Amino acid sequence: MRRLAAVLALILVSAPLLIAPSTSVVALGGAALILCGLGILVATPVLVGGMVMALGEYALALRLAGGTPRLEGAVVLGVVLVLLLETADFGRRAQHAAIGRGVFVAQIRAWAVFGALTGAGALVASAAASAASASLRLPWASAVAAAGAAVALVAVALALAAAGTPSRD
Amino acid sequence: MTTRLTPLALSVVTVGAWGLVLGVLSGRAELVVVVVPLLLGLLRVGRAGSSRDFTLTRTVSAARVFEGERVTVIVTVSATRRVALLELFEPLPPTLRLVGGHNRGLFCLRRGQSVEWRYEVECVRRGRVSLGTVHARLWDRAGLEAGETSIPVAWQLRVYPRALPLRRLPGPRRMQAFVGNYVAPRVGEGLEPGDIRAFVPGDRVRHVNWRASLRFRRLFVTQYHQERNADVVLMLDTLTEAGAPPDTTLDVSIRAAAALATAYLARKDRVGLIEYCGPFRWVRPNSGRAHHERIFEALLRADVMFSYVTQEVALVPRRILPPQALVIAISPLLDPRFDKALVDLAARGFDLVVLSPSPIPLVRRAIRASASADVACRLWTLERRARADGLQRLGITIIDWDTAVPLEAALGGLTRSRRREVAR
Repeated sequence: MRRLAAVLALILVSAPLLIAPSTSVVALGGAALILCGLGILVATPVLVGGMVMALGEYALALRLAGGTPRLEGAVVLGVVLVLLLETADFGRRAQHAAIGRGVFVAQIRAWAVFGALTGAGALVASAAASAASASLRLPWASAVAAAGAAVALVAVALALAAAGTPSRD
Repeated sequence: MTTRLTPLALSVVTVGAWGLVLGVLSGRAELVVVVVPLLLGLLRVGRAGSSRDFTLTRTVSAARVFEGERVTVIVTVSATRRVALLELFEPLPPTLRLVGGHNRGLFCLRRGQSVEWRYEVECVRRGRVSLGTVHARLWDRAGLEAGETSIPVAWQLRVYPRALPLRRLPGPRRMQAFVGNYVAPRVGEGLEPGDIRAFVPGDRVRHVNWRASLRFRRLFVTQYHQERNADVVLMLDTLTEAGAPPDTTLDVSIRAAAALATAYLARKDRVGLIEYCGPFRWVRPNSGRAHHERIFEALLRADVMFSYVTQEVALVPRRILPPQALVIAISPLLDPRFDKALVDLAARGFDLVVLSPSPIPLVRRAIRASASADVACRLWTLERRARADGLQRLGITIIDWDTAVPLEAALGGLTRSRRREVAR
């Protein structure tokens, strides 16, 4: 499972290089790959650090390349991000454990289904957003900033929920 | 069951928030689209199962084993409903060491399916080992939420001390009235020929020594030595211990006691056990297989019990410490209270042998090697020697046993010297 996570990390880091293969992107990509590799082996927070850096690399590559939005590639990268987090986490759980029959197959099947559904959903959403942006002119930047703030609040709420009173059955 | 979000959910949200921030800063729509699968993935939260979805049973290949033996633990998981991902963890007590398989497992189960999970452990130290609780964690497929519970599946394993075979043992100076394996000085019914004397009416014809009778033209009979058993009392010092488990002075003392008890009982001797801690605990001398088990049960629960109480040996009842018994005291000679008890026993005229497992190699094995540790151990060796000399001057036989050497080798010197003493 760790090999699969490593392959996904490689895809995540190398995708921006296809957009803008500049020295700064390569440098950021290298750092992100090292952090992701360490994160896969050591702990999820390190992996998250690597992914944050990979997203920075992606943003830099997009900024340097310019041009029209590449939404299909972005959807694939988003699915890779989710799967990288989940495979690395599962790999850590499966380490030094007896694995029952069919656990890996069921897990890979679940990820494949999730990836396909999420990818399709994200494509539909981005297509809808493109269509809407063609007809409507909204202050997108401020809307996205508001969404980011909302997500940050949700993150804090989730953190509190994780540390707070657990539910019992 | 306690259900909570995992750190993975927080990681997903963190990466998603960072993507949105970058999207705002760079003004590129791709970064917002990248975040969409992450946020969609969060919709899967809340699908971890319940503790009622499965049942656990545990079996162990043996309930009673000796130190160093291995047992296989088999946990059977049966699902009453579909279980996406079940993680089971069975913490092992320090007296067990994992040698095969894993004590943590991940399973996914269909409804009605049963899965067997097995692993092998080695019992490294004597005692009653409780394999009590299995910790279960039910994950959703994404790993975003987990429900945790502990399931009590009680099972007790008895690990008895390993008894090494001993061929030569310290022979007792005094015998008892029952039939045994020692050749007694008294003549009577037996197998070992002794003196020859003139025939008197009442002697059995089968005892006539025909060779001597033909030579002297008078009837002579052969007298035989009686074969008797002995009472052996093992006195175990549980006042203190040194070293690191599973090789503390108490552990090696108990192994030695188990070996001595087994060997003496095999010779038809009556063996008793006195555990010299604060308050005495004892097993009265007896023989037979049932008594062997009784002694091993007592050794199983023997442990250091800190106490300021010092009991007098005189308090031990006569039937527990018979006056003609050979007393083998097993002690690292760390506590002066035990020295006093030894002196008391010697003064009361007991046939006393002290087997002293040296704590120094056991402690050295547990600490980091250094020059100061070397000096301390050398000083300790001198101090031990001085104490042993002091006891020897009082007529107490002491065997200083370096535990790296087999017990039989340590006893070898003593058996020879005692044989000489008995011959004199």
